Amino acid sequence: MNATILVVEDEPDIRQFLRSSLGAEGYRVVESPNGRRGTLDAGMHKPDLAIVDLGLPDFDGVEVIRRIREWSPMPILVLSARIQEHSKIQALDAGADDYVTKPFGVGELLARVRAALRHNTRTANGGALQLGTATIDFEKRLASKDGNEVHLTPIEFRLLACLAKHIGMVVTHRQLLSEVWGPTHAADTHYLRVYMKQLREKLETDPAQPKYLLTETGVGYRLVD
Amino acid sequence: MKWAGYAWALGATLGCTLLGLVTAPHADLVNLALVYLLAVVGIALRFSRGPVVAASVLGVAAFDYFFVLPSGTFHVEDPQYLLTFVMMLAVGLTVSWLTETARARAKAQADLAIQAETERIRNALLSSISHDLRTPLAVISGASSSLAEGGERLAASERAALAQSIFRESQEMSELIAKVLQMTRLESGALALERDWCSINEIAAAVVRRLKPRLADHLMMVDLPGELPLLRVDGALIEQALANLLENAARHTPARTLVRLRAQVEGGEMVVSVEDFGPGLPEGDLERLFDKFRHGRRGGVGLGLAICRAIIALHGGRIWAERLPGVGTAFRFSLPLEKPPEMPAEALAQ
Repeated sequence: MNATILVVEDEPDIRQFLRSSLGAEGYRVVESPNGRRGTLDAGMHKPDLAIVDLGLPDFDGVEVIRRIREWSPMPILVLSARIQEHSKIQALDAGADDYVTKPFGVGELLARVRAALRHNTRTANGGALQLGTATIDFEKRLASKDGNEVHLTPIEFRLLACLAKHIGMVVTHRQLLSEVWGPTHAADTHYLRVYMKQLREKLETDPAQPKYLLTETGVGYRLVD
Repeated sequence: MKWAGYAWALGATLGCTLLGLVTAPHADLVNLALVYLLAVVGIALRFSRGPVVAASVLGVAAFDYFFVLPSGTFHVEDPQYLLTFVMMLAVGLTVSWLTETARARAKAQADLAIQAETERIRNALLSSISHDLRTPLAVISGASSSLAEGGERLAASERAALAQSIFRESQEMSELIAKVLQMTRLESGALALERDWCSINEIAAAVVRRLKPRLADHLMMVDLPGELPLLRVDGALIEQALANLLENAARHTPARTLVRLRAQVEGGEMVVSVEDFGPGLPEGDLERLFDKFRHGRRGGVGLGLAICRAIIALHGGRIWAERLPGVGTAFRFSLPLEKPPEMPAEALAQ
């Protein structure tokens, strides 16, 4: 069955462009022109994914995300203008799963949509992760690279697991810090800098130019495979 | 402030009266009147009309009461002193009117100068933006009208090329608009830094990855020591500054030029450099490169370096350009290092 995508966006031209490019990929598209309708449509159509614009005419896109999150874990993608750097992080912390900055190419959007839908259909995936020549088995707590065992500390495992849970999607500093170190450390970004460096040195082929453990400066990190 | 003028008027009159009482046996009354007048002129130079009138009236009253015979009363024996009083008042008011007019004129001139400067910047902005928007807009409207009006007659490869150019040019436009908005925000002071501990290595890797398509024609070299201290900065803004410097290097040097990104600790600062081994800068003041709307020889709205300077200044750092010995150019910025943060115990154990 084709996935249904809810698009909450006030600009008709952008809605049209989203409808045609998502439709061409075989997705069913439901459109809402404002936050109120969007919240209702999310309940009525039970979409597999919601794409929410942050600059809505009636109420803030962040509010739409909060209302959907009250009852649904559906993946939510945020469309943000570049000037809204701060509300983008707010949206992510309110429960959005990823963002696309306007103006965006359709390739970028579809990649995010696929990652988000994949996240939705995946259930724990046997606990193994393949990053190039590195393999991480979360159940057995084993990691190897090029066939050689790599020692990961418990915290490194937790951090990697948290990123892997949202593979392909951005995870904010706050999310990572609260999940791995606890809410009292939500602002200690230097912990992340240190541990991400260690993880890259253990798992990446070129730690200085990582291919899997990517930095989203000012926002968080993204694990891609 | 409002009452300061009146206080000064009262003080000056008292001072004159004391001086008069001390010197009265030797001084001529006319000279005493002039002393009061001097006080009135002094007040007029500093304060508005109210205190001047007060100083004049107080001066006349004090002069009359203490010095004009019979002293100790306000009674005047010789009517010619009435004329002196009128003259004192008139001179005080005239001086006050003159200085006030002069002050107003100076302020108007200063306002006019500011207005002219604002106007100049606005014009530069408008001409710069309209020039830089016109070209991509012409491409976009031309290419899109070809597609809209005769798309089916075009070969698939031609249609794709037209669509590609629309995409590329619109990206260029939104880039430009983002820069203008950013400059406005930086200048209006509306931008609060979101500082946290950042790694310049991560920022450099992220920016090089993001700019890969635009740096594809150049030889990009990242030369960072692995053990650089963390910076307490707004990572997104520093990334933007670095991106602007790299784009600048790519734009102003020929293809295959080596562009090197470096960072090192010098004294209490981190110095980050973007060096290119291109043809180098023409003669001229290097500092002016960072001014707004300095059009380079090759496109660019001339905001990139101005934005860099504003970002680095907000962080308490410096930014400068150097001519590299022999050939090429270096753009460097420094950021102050802070006391490193407390690290988690497990990290230290490793």
